[in-house]
Amino acid sequence: MRDYILRRLLMLIPILLGISVCVFTIMQLVPGNVVNGILGIEQTPELRAIWEKKLGLDQPPLIQYFRWMGNVLRGDFGESFRTGAQVFPEIISRFTITAELALLSCLTSLIIAIPLGIVSALKRNRPVDKVVRVAALMGVSMPSFASATLIILFLSKAFGYFTPVKYVSLIQNPGTNLEIMILPALILGTTMAGSVMRMTRSSILEVMRQDFIKAVRAKGAPERITIFRHALKNGCIPIITLVGMQMGGLLGGTVVIEQIFSIPGLGQYVLTGISQRDYPVVQGCVLFIAFIYVIINLFVDIIYTYVDPRIQYA
Amino acid sequence: MSKQAILRRALPGAGAALPRQSESAFILVWRDPLGRAGLCGVALIALMAICAPVIARYGVAEMHPKAKLTAPGLTFFFGSDNFGRDVFSRIVYGARVSLIVGIVSVGIAAGLGYLLGILAGFFEGKCESIIMMAMDIIFAFPSILLALFIVSALGPNIINTMIAIGIVNVPVFTRTVRASVKSVKSMDYIKNAISIGLTPRGVLLRHVTPNVLAPFTVQATLALSGAILTEASMSFLGLGIQPPQPSWGSMLSDARKYMEIAPWLVIFPALFIILTILSFNVLGDSLRDVLDPKLKL
Amino acid sequence: MKRLFALFVCTVLLLSAAPTFALADGGILRVGTDAEPIGFDPHTISAVASARVMTQLYNQLVDVDGDLNVVPELAESWEQPDDTTYIFHLRGDVTFHNGRSMTAEDVKYSFERILDPNVGALGSSASYAGDIESIEIIDDLTVKFTLKQINAPFLASLSSWYCSIVAKEAVEENGDLLSADGGTGPFTLGEWIPDNMVSINKYDGYFIPDQPKVDGIEFYVMTDSSARLAALRTGSVDLIAADTSMLPLVAGDANINTLSYQSRNYAALCLNTTLPQFSDVRVRQAISLALNRQDIIDLAYNGEAEVSGFVPASLGHWAVDVTEHPLYQQDIEKAKALMSEAGYADGFEVTLIVGLLDSLRDIGAVAQQQLAEIGITVNVVNKENAEYVALWSAHDFEIMACQNGAGSDPSRGVAFFFKTGNSANIAGYSNARVDELCELGAGTTDVAQREEYYKEAIEIILDEEPNVVIASPREYFLSSAKLLGFEPSAAEPYSLATAYLAE
Repeated sequence: MRDYILRRLLMLIPILLGISVCVFTIMQLVPGNVVNGILGIEQTPELRAIWEKKLGLDQPPLIQYFRWMGNVLRGDFGESFRTGAQVFPEIISRFTITAELALLSCLTSLIIAIPLGIVSALKRNRPVDKVVRVAALMGVSMPSFASATLIILFLSKAFGYFTPVKYVSLIQNPGTNLEIMILPALILGTTMAGSVMRMTRSSILEVMRQDFIKAVRAKGAPERITIFRHALKNGCIPIITLVGMQMGGLLGGTVVIEQIFSIPGLGQYVLTGISQRDYPVVQGCVLFIAFIYVIINLFVDIIYTYVDPRIQYA
Repeated sequence: MSKQAILRRALPGAGAALPRQSESAFILVWRDPLGRAGLCGVALIALMAICAPVIARYGVAEMHPKAKLTAPGLTFFFGSDNFGRDVFSRIVYGARVSLIVGIVSVGIAAGLGYLLGILAGFFEGKCESIIMMAMDIIFAFPSILLALFIVSALGPNIINTMIAIGIVNVPVFTRTVRASVKSVKSMDYIKNAISIGLTPRGVLLRHVTPNVLAPFTVQATLALSGAILTEASMSFLGLGIQPPQPSWGSMLSDARKYMEIAPWLVIFPALFIILTILSFNVLGDSLRDVLDPKLKL
Repeated sequence: MKRLFALFVCTVLLLSAAPTFALADGGILRVGTDAEPIGFDPHTISAVASARVMTQLYNQLVDVDGDLNVVPELAESWEQPDDTTYIFHLRGDVTFHNGRSMTAEDVKYSFERILDPNVGALGSSASYAGDIESIEIIDDLTVKFTLKQINAPFLASLSSWYCSIVAKEAVEENGDLLSADGGTGPFTLGEWIPDNMVSINKYDGYFIPDQPKVDGIEFYVMTDSSARLAALRTGSVDLIAADTSMLPLVAGDANINTLSYQSRNYAALCLNTTLPQFSDVRVRQAISLALNRQDIIDLAYNGEAEVSGFVPASLGHWAVDVTEHPLYQQDIEKAKALMSEAGYADGFEVTLIVGLLDSLRDIGAVAQQQLAEIGITVNVVNKENAEYVALWSAHDFEIMACQNGAGSDPSRGVAFFFKTGNSANIAGYSNARVDELCELGAGTTDVAQREEYYKEAIEIILDEEPNVVIASPREYFLSSAKLLGFEPSAAEPYSLATAYLAE
């Protein structure tokens, strides 16, 4: 097991290197650079030259890459071109926010999806199943920015309610923090619930027709125990995989919701970075997100071994 | 008797599996009420997209400055927007844009995915690990961010949007095909067939493709709806389909400002997005039920 | 009992009504803004999102009032022994936020920083402080600037935030002022939660007595306009930057006030005059004649803009009224005639670059329709912000929809955008007489004389239409009825030092 984890972690190196090259190349290809944004309407060739020199953009791309990569290897992600703030601490502080949002969203989607999936599987092809399936799909069908706008409008008009505007962290004030997070998490959760519910339904269906379930039933076990202790436990591997994947996707995928609810998360950081051509920010964020994504996948694989002891990694 | 014919005899049913299965799949889906609903929905949208020039009453960009934000009625079935453009015509043409975006981007993803998956599955070793590593890299990006990235590099327009959404979806297809190639390759009868001279092309066409088709179809219907949603999110962030081309996503995103005074601007695009996504998803679900033999009870 | 109850209700009503008349100082003003600030170094940041915070933190030597007069700010008075020498007498009661008194030394330091080529300050160009030759400290509160040449708009340009006076020690401690505060303004920099909010606190030692009125201001970043409106309606914020689409929604709302001012900005279609089709003045005039500006205003600005030239009416006596100008009246027949005279009877195809602002994208969509009538097929291409600016600075386009600021002096509105070779002259326009008039205008300090020069230049440019100017938008704020004393203007859109919250 330890060897396996080690091997997986070693795999990170080529992946991250590959990503760093990709993201660097793409950023170079993107037209315009940060100096255009800094100078705005005041640009003159002289000022542009000063700023490009200041930021090291006058160097050939290859040198820029190795300089940046060298610093990253030494643990220095550099400073934002625009705000001059250190990139790494900013990534970490925003990551904790986005991670909290992602976790809450996954939790919401599981709370909605697992019971619905079970009901739907047990009542396969009956009207209940169909209603549940369509309802779960409705959540996926609406673009999240539209549902968010609708909900904000409805709550403000009907109840005079708006989420707290000033962001506070979970440690500073858990109550307010949860109040800020709950609506975004609900919206993201419902958009995820559809696929989780489908996965639950099909895994349970698959498990339920296996022989051991018949044996359990034949033994006279109550239906509840059959479902929860046996069917769900055995059927949850694909669900875990899916949720793990979605979790990773959420790390940058929350950007739309972050923007609407003014949540200072990682998605907004990357998006602003891209639009301002803030190379250190974008490159740092993408490397970090990829790193976390691989780690989450590793975790998912490790969780497998606990859920299903038959799975062994060597 | 040719070698091909011998092989065909040697492996009964293997070659003919495809048409029969897909034929029955259609009927089976039709028999499932949800599947039927999905099929009808998809057909309706497709019809709308194809016949857009006939159905639409005005041009997509045609403005009526004196009739902005008119409520739905006889002149404008679905009302008019803040430029006095006919929402109905824009929805109808929007079906075209949204479907084209969906189909082309999924086409790109499926085509590339098929190719890479076959390569990875057939040639194990270095080639496989490089391809799968590349897929892991693409997969490691959150899809909307990757799409935004590509679009900002290439410039926002409909073709680049489709390319971006296509690339984002490649890994899923690659994985499906590779898994299928590997499982087919490891089957005894294929091993036997290869030993008596079945070419890789034969394996590919006759055995892999039919096997992949089922998960591929399911994946494609789901990816289609995903593509339409991704385009909508990109429109919200200002990097989707560019005006005056109407995509439902951009219509919905632009309309939010007028949600209170002109709710029809939001309702109709939202309705059609939901209808389309729902239809494709329901159809995909139903197809999965029908095509996935493991789920047959 | 009933009567007692009625009395009670009356008292409560009176009590609750009474405080609206008491003008209580203090409290925190919460503002919903549309973009995230980038940093707060007044010398290197051009972003408007930062400016609304920076202008609360810093002061300049002088200010320009609503009637475009230069008025004292940190400098109490000034004199001009000759056309290239300015002597400023500073106020003696100004302190930096760290408590230290501001002296002539600080003024010298600030301008040295602006002119330092390693800083890359935006004020180093000739439009601002670039013409300064030397800065001399005469005594603690007197400083003398010597210019390389006569620069008539020099005094007015000192009012820009690019020419803010900063404390040396703040720059040295932090390397720059991006997230530090070295100002003398009414507020001090508080907390900055990127992508969420920036807070500023009242500075008790501010040199204008009784200002600021509030204890602090919190600027929230709410890029989504519907969220911003919802926040205002629910009382989560007191003031928001408004879209014109919001105006009908709050029209009857007693709790929400609408504030507005006519901006000094204008939208224009800049034609690249180095291209063969646009080098022909007749084609440019035809485009101007083909446009129905009122329709564009109604559609792209919801009617909240005025037909304008490139020196809008808000520039007072410098402005030239274009409403009666022949090229500003839609006349398709005449436009078509001009097109065929120029050899483009069948029109041509052209790409129009839009970006940055929704209003510019909307103008693009409407112009596309209107220009089709004279046979010009317009392909509207929306560019993402950074790319748009890159194309702007490279002058790489056929037509580009722009929003320009006319500034407070025609040296900006005319010379900056139309003098041959200037970086903002993206149309590549060149007219020897205009160049000459711009030189003359900058080279004399006599206002009447300058007005004559610039007006002549304006008339020439209006006839030649390198930039087909469309309209000057009105800018809007929505505030809760509690917010008083806030009077936005083109000169000072965020004049928050005088704002207060009534209880």
